[in-house]
Amino acid sequence: MRVSTGTIYETGTNLMLQQQEKLINTQQQLSTGRRILTPSDDPISAAQVLNISQSAALNEQYSVNRSSAGSSLQLEENVLRQVNGILQDVHSSTVYAGNATLTDADRKTLATELRSKLESLVGLANTTDEKGQFLFSGFQANTKPFAQTGLAVQYVGDQGQRLNQVGPARQLAVSDSGTDVFERIKNGNGVFATAASSSNIGSGVIDGGSVITPSSLTGGNYEITFAVSAIGVTTYDIVNTSTGSTVSSANPYVSNNTVSFDGMQLSIKGNPANGDKFTVSPSSNQSVFKTVGDLITALETPASGQSGGTRLANDLKSTLQNINNSLEHVLSKQASIGARLQEIDTLESVGSDQNIQFEQMLSQLQDVDFAQATSDLQRQQLYLQAAQQSYIKISGLSLFNYI
Amino acid sequence: MGNGILDIAVTGLATAQNQLLTTSHNISNAGTPGFNRQQVLLSTNTPQSGGAGFIGRGVHSSTVQRIYSQFLTTQSLQIQTQSQSLDSNYTEIKQLDNMFAEATSGLSPTLQNFFSAIHDVATNPGVIPSRQSMLSNADALVARFHSMDQRMSQIREGINTQVSSTVVHINSLAKQIGEINKQIIWAEGSAGGQPANDMLDQRDELINQLNKLVNTDTVRQSDGTMNVYIGNGQALVVGAQTLSLEAIKTPDSPNNLTIGLVNGNSTIQLPEDQITGGTLGGIFSFRSNTLDNAQNSLGRVALTLAQTFNAQHQLGMDLNGAMGTNFFALPAPNVISASTNNLASNISTSITDYSALTTSDYELSYDGTNYTLTRLSDNVSATPSSSLPLTLDGISVTSATMLASERFRIQPTINGAKDIAVNINDTTKIAAAGPNRTNAASTNKGTGTISAGTVNPLPLDSNLQQPLTITFHTPYNGEFDVAGTGTGLPATNQTYTAGADISFNGYTFQISGSPAAGDVFTVTPNNNGVADNRNMLLLGALQATNTLENGTANYQTAYGQLVSQVGNKTRELQVTSKAQANLLAQTEQSIQSVSGVNLDEEAANLLRFQQAYQASSKIIEMSSTLFDSILRFG
Repeated sequence: MRVSTGTIYETGTNLMLQQQEKLINTQQQLSTGRRILTPSDDPISAAQVLNISQSAALNEQYSVNRSSAGSSLQLEENVLRQVNGILQDVHSSTVYAGNATLTDADRKTLATELRSKLESLVGLANTTDEKGQFLFSGFQANTKPFAQTGLAVQYVGDQGQRLNQVGPARQLAVSDSGTDVFERIKNGNGVFATAASSSNIGSGVIDGGSVITPSSLTGGNYEITFAVSAIGVTTYDIVNTSTGSTVSSANPYVSNNTVSFDGMQLSIKGNPANGDKFTVSPSSNQSVFKTVGDLITALETPASGQSGGTRLANDLKSTLQNINNSLEHVLSKQASIGARLQEIDTLESVGSDQNIQFEQMLSQLQDVDFAQATSDLQRQQLYLQAAQQSYIKISGLSLFNYI
Repeated sequence: MGNGILDIAVTGLATAQNQLLTTSHNISNAGTPGFNRQQVLLSTNTPQSGGAGFIGRGVHSSTVQRIYSQFLTTQSLQIQTQSQSLDSNYTEIKQLDNMFAEATSGLSPTLQNFFSAIHDVATNPGVIPSRQSMLSNADALVARFHSMDQRMSQIREGINTQVSSTVVHINSLAKQIGEINKQIIWAEGSAGGQPANDMLDQRDELINQLNKLVNTDTVRQSDGTMNVYIGNGQALVVGAQTLSLEAIKTPDSPNNLTIGLVNGNSTIQLPEDQITGGTLGGIFSFRSNTLDNAQNSLGRVALTLAQTFNAQHQLGMDLNGAMGTNFFALPAPNVISASTNNLASNISTSITDYSALTTSDYELSYDGTNYTLTRLSDNVSATPSSSLPLTLDGISVTSATMLASERFRIQPTINGAKDIAVNINDTTKIAAAGPNRTNAASTNKGTGTISAGTVNPLPLDSNLQQPLTITFHTPYNGEFDVAGTGTGLPATNQTYTAGADISFNGYTFQISGSPAAGDVFTVTPNNNGVADNRNMLLLGALQATNTLENGTANYQTAYGQLVSQVGNKTRELQVTSKAQANLLAQTEQSIQSVSGVNLDEEAANLLRFQQAYQASSKIIEMSSTLFDSILRFG
């Protein structure tokens, strides 16, 4: 083929330009470390990179959320551990208060001690977090949840539970409302509660009782009324005060024998006097503060004579039961927090695994293979040098040199 | 006799001189664009007849010919106009490609930061700095939408500038071609029909340049002139006459300049789809196939983000206890009345379903009876109807005042990225909380629990925050009463199903477990609920919710689609324009191989013609010697 002089120059220049373009591209890949410099280099991967980056960033965000959820829960756990400790003390004090050698004055001293314990409990229930927000006030983080007047403690928060997005499809509760933690504690044995009438004069002491046939429970209130005949025979009547019907009447009384009715079983010991009454009512919620408050009231009331001692014995018995309930409740809350913390740990390890996966995928999609690129660079350098040298050689050839 | 020798030698000398001149011309024009090498065609002079037969009388140059292939030139024109079209399309799209290239400058990082800030508010709903950070990040997100849109508008402006300057260039080339046509008629006429080689080269080169701007067809006339047609056969140069083009606003979208043919006092628009080659063809194709789509796509992401975010934000309660307002200002569809329409004509449009939005533009036309709403990307119409509203892809035309054969263009998404704005600048107005909270009375005996509840989608119920009290019947019979103010309240004897939705006043909640007789649950306004983050969690969840493309894409994937589309198109153009450029280079090489100057060849010719010249000179010298010897005899 006939080749024009222009073609020789143009072809040589074009070849050099092409080599340079490739060289620059490889150089850019090497200096940025990225295989995809613009979306057009690999459109599908470029879009994938965007999507995976979002997933990776979300994953990171969930991890941040988890650590914040973890610290909230740990703070709550910490508070509950202290509450637990105080309740243990209160429990010991209650047991100690039953000691027959104690005088009214001793019990007063004990009560004073318990008053400061109650204040500590209220203080713990009003704990604030690092942002100054109350832990147990539900949604109203700026409202002090528990207000104390004398021995009465009132909850003014709400039952909102704060949630945190700890995973793509998981919102975890990072708070518990004050009601839930401190107030929603069933009294008695959890199904029914027994009590002695405050006007009792005999020495009858009632225990907490238990459920034997759950299906027979009626959920009503009952009254057990004692009668002592002229010849000293003690009998008792059981009346369902909710319906007004008599369950059984004129039952002979033997101290410490079990009394069973409507699926419940309890025992009374000592010598109840004529007209003494005991009540059985369905369990209701009683706050930990009321339980401690009731104990203080019981201890501060002088326990003189037989009726006083019996009242104290009955009060201490039910208090002990309620404190055990409170302890159990707080423990179950602690367990629930523990389970949530554990879930956070599990999610965290899943999250960090995913993070590694995302990073690997991103790296595969967009990172340059350095070995390959370096070798490309050297090859392209060689090509360019060859193109340059041949251009110089060929352009130097001309017949005019010899004319 | 001697005289005859001298004459013959002189003809040799003259032709050799012509050949030397032509060779020098070739050498000096070796680098002239469009130059075709020339050669002198020789023929023998009419011989003298005598008794001894015909005796030659030397040589003469019959013509100077340019070495030229019409076939290759036509082929090259076609390839070149395509190559130029692809090149200019590629140059434009590369700007978009580069815009999407930087991981730090695209939409993704700001979108991610915005949602991270939302998560931060969800974690610390009552903390003002967190809320401030969310507003700042919303501003940054909006600013990023604006800057990307602005960049695209700049590219559009750049195209308009190119159209204007190209039109000026085309007009000037057309004039020059007309002028040279005139000169060729004159020159060839005065030279007795000999080809005006250099002028022909010049005209070919002018046509070549015109063809780079817009696809050009040529027809050679018998008088030597060349008629030039552009686009789909629109005459631009006829003989010495030229028509001129003008850059005009596209009637359907005033932001775009297109070309029109000046015809007396009026200008007729040339349909853009007929301009398929050259710079103009390339930028028109880029504008209608890529730029419009990209700007609409980005606008659609902005629009859907604003709408879905607003809808959720309005279901929440802010720090002041008021219900949330629009977080983003929502851009409205752009409606363009065709420039031929009556000034009083107008239509109203609204978007009824954001998830159905496409990236296309729409056209509403009216034939006097029926309205037709057409999606312009594929010319699909909703069933024509004589009554409004008419709805297609979530766009609804609600009313129209227009005459028959008038038309409106509706651009639902083009302003999305340009006009999105943050509507809230007060941190307390971020609606992080739910409007209501629920309570189970602490005196409840049963195990029933009540869920926190959710607000039903917009519109809000006017009694949303009215307190509700739910009381289970005593004795327990599986029914409850709801007391409160609002539609259907009080409601008595409602059957209890554990976990089933209970919905009053636009608020839905569930009670589960086993409630006991007399148990009470309440729904109350969430006053002072500063730690409530329920609405923030729902807002945060929007990031990964598929709200676009009929529920198949989220904000990020819709943006990813845009990036991938632009990337794919750029790659396609990169490959095809390179291929076309190679094809062009090959054709040009073929042309060069026929018509190009080779300096070595010319150097050889130079020697050859020099020798021919010298030889003829020798003959003259010899004839002089012969004449001298005759004189000596005399």
